[in-house]
Amino acid sequence: MTKLDPVDVVVVGAGLGGSAFTARLSERAPNLRIVCLERGGWPDRDAMPALRRDWQRAALGPWATSPNVRLASGATASADYPIDDASSPIKPLMWNGVGGSTITWAAHVPRLHPSDLHRRTLDGVGDDWPFSYQDLEPYYDLNDIALGVAGLAGDPAYPPKRSPRLPPLPIGRMGRTAARGFDALEWHWWPVDAAINSVAHAGRPACSNAGPCLLGCPIHAKSSADLAYWPAALWRGVDLRTGCIAQEIVVRGGRAAAVVYRDPAGVTQEQPADLVVVAGNGVGTARLLLASKVARDPDGPLGRYLMFHPVAYARGMFHEELDGPSGPVGACVYSHEFYETQHIQLQITRENSLLAQALRLGPVWGAAAHRLVREEFRHSLSVMVVAEDLPEPAQRVTLTRATEADGLPGVRIEYALSENARRILDFGLDRAEEMLRAAGAYRVVRVPLAPLTGWHLLGTARMGIDPATSVTDARGRLHDVPNIVVADGSLFPTAGAVNPGATIGALALRIADGVAEDLAS
Amino acid sequence: MRSEVVGAIVDALLPGDGGSPALPSATAAGVTARVEAGREAHRPVIEEIARAAGGEDAFLAAGAARRADALRQVEAAMPDVFAALLLAVVEEYYDADAVLLAMGWPVEPPQPNGHPLPAFDEALVEKVRKRAPMWRDPRES
Repeated sequence: MTKLDPVDVVVVGAGLGGSAFTARLSERAPNLRIVCLERGGWPDRDAMPALRRDWQRAALGPWATSPNVRLASGATASADYPIDDASSPIKPLMWNGVGGSTITWAAHVPRLHPSDLHRRTLDGVGDDWPFSYQDLEPYYDLNDIALGVAGLAGDPAYPPKRSPRLPPLPIGRMGRTAARGFDALEWHWWPVDAAINSVAHAGRPACSNAGPCLLGCPIHAKSSADLAYWPAALWRGVDLRTGCIAQEIVVRGGRAAAVVYRDPAGVTQEQPADLVVVAGNGVGTARLLLASKVARDPDGPLGRYLMFHPVAYARGMFHEELDGPSGPVGACVYSHEFYETQHIQLQITRENSLLAQALRLGPVWGAAAHRLVREEFRHSLSVMVVAEDLPEPAQRVTLTRATEADGLPGVRIEYALSENARRILDFGLDRAEEMLRAAGAYRVVRVPLAPLTGWHLLGTARMGIDPATSVTDARGRLHDVPNIVVADGSLFPTAGAVNPGATIGALALRIADGVAEDLAS
Repeated sequence: MRSEVVGAIVDALLPGDGGSPALPSATAAGVTARVEAGREAHRPVIEEIARAAGGEDAFLAAGAARRADALRQVEAAMPDVFAALLLAVVEEYYDADAVLLAMGWPVEPPQPNGHPLPAFDEALVEKVRKRAPMWRDPRES
């Protein structure tokens, strides 16, 4: 093992949290020597399948959303590791490389509601965050500006947002049909905030409305952490080391001393540092911290309180022609009519590819399959019911006895859909069907729980005041090892019912400012 | 296993329709080549489907209903290998030019040209915009 020259800060992970953190810290403290270790490489946009004739099939194998499916296909574009998800009805999804899961995200970037940060005080459930929405708000604005967000000011579901916005994305016939249903019921709806260029911006072109954002965006219209944060961080001298897999955080005398990692040649290196920042998402962060045995109580909160956003769908069939798989797949319109009362978001999603839609039909074969695919394709509208997942200690990420090919212990998800989540999903499905009928749907199909929706990996190194129920303090510093900082969605004490990207970015920026202040003092 | 039996089986899975434009049968869409390429992997399920109909000749002579019965029987008895065959057929079929065109969808990859959509019309949200704030302010609790 080679022991490298010490640096000030080692960041593990170049996803949204690690990227935002690193860019901000390098701006606030330009004299720091910062190294970022990323297990994957840079995205190769020329190789993204949306440019190829086989794009539909790529989504089922090498560009599937699940790392387990990608590994089974032999794909290597994402530096994946297997996750034992047999004990979870929701399958964890992610992308491993520079930019992290923003490479393949839908780029829908709603903020939490202010009430989401105070669920215990307001409603007697979940927990409170150790700070308020107002504390986070300036960082939401900074993150919006860095990503470049298309959207529309004036949404009554939110406090006014101060950051400038590009014009809203087109909602198409699908969005207008949904709006007709929401309007008929006098329910709230609004065009999404999306980190997608509706017009040319920041040297990147406008979205072409191609559709399959989850296959990456080869034309750079969709923003992602590699585009939004890394150019500035690299220009300021951050040393980003790709293909480097952190194996262990070395703790001596109650303080982190170094990160041991495997470099692209397979050689083990030890990188000493004064501060270690972990940003590997709710699975990867917990895995590394558990493997490094940083917690004094091995049965404590680290790895626990895993939250997804459980998702159900209602799909309405319309006689009129809609747009099919045109437009950013996850960025159309949403309703927060029931957000503050039932803690659900109703989100309109665009159709998937013809192949993906044909595969989910029942039956998939026979003359009936042809009738169904003709009925649905270009004539269906899906309402995604996104539910808040309350934090519960039994929902967790844990290690297995195996050692995986990347040198780390295996990782397993232990998760069950809670009664509360089931109840609010069912409420949401009823409301989704009501809206679809009001919009003119003549038939509605329900999907009670969609398994391949586990993008949002939250809560496994949660912030809080009490070390018995939290892993870090409000600045992301581990209670047990204060020079280890977490800067990703693992920190969330509660999840809200919206996509977490905006909050992960904002939180990482805030954590970086805290580190800069700590180091300055 | 004769090629015409393989063709008859994939056509029983996806027979096409009489729509306008018509969805082609699986063999007309060119699916057989992929199943033939994976013939050894699919051989057990193909043989079982033929056997369920009374043999290869019986399957070829059978009408649509009897062929479908044989497929359903094997689907229940050998779900994993049947699913693998079905996936191979469905993947190839719904990616075929003739099928995409029959469904009114272009065969070109989605990027870089994409699809035209009109700009968002802000007038659509005027009514919603006038609603009172819907969010709870914890500072007022």
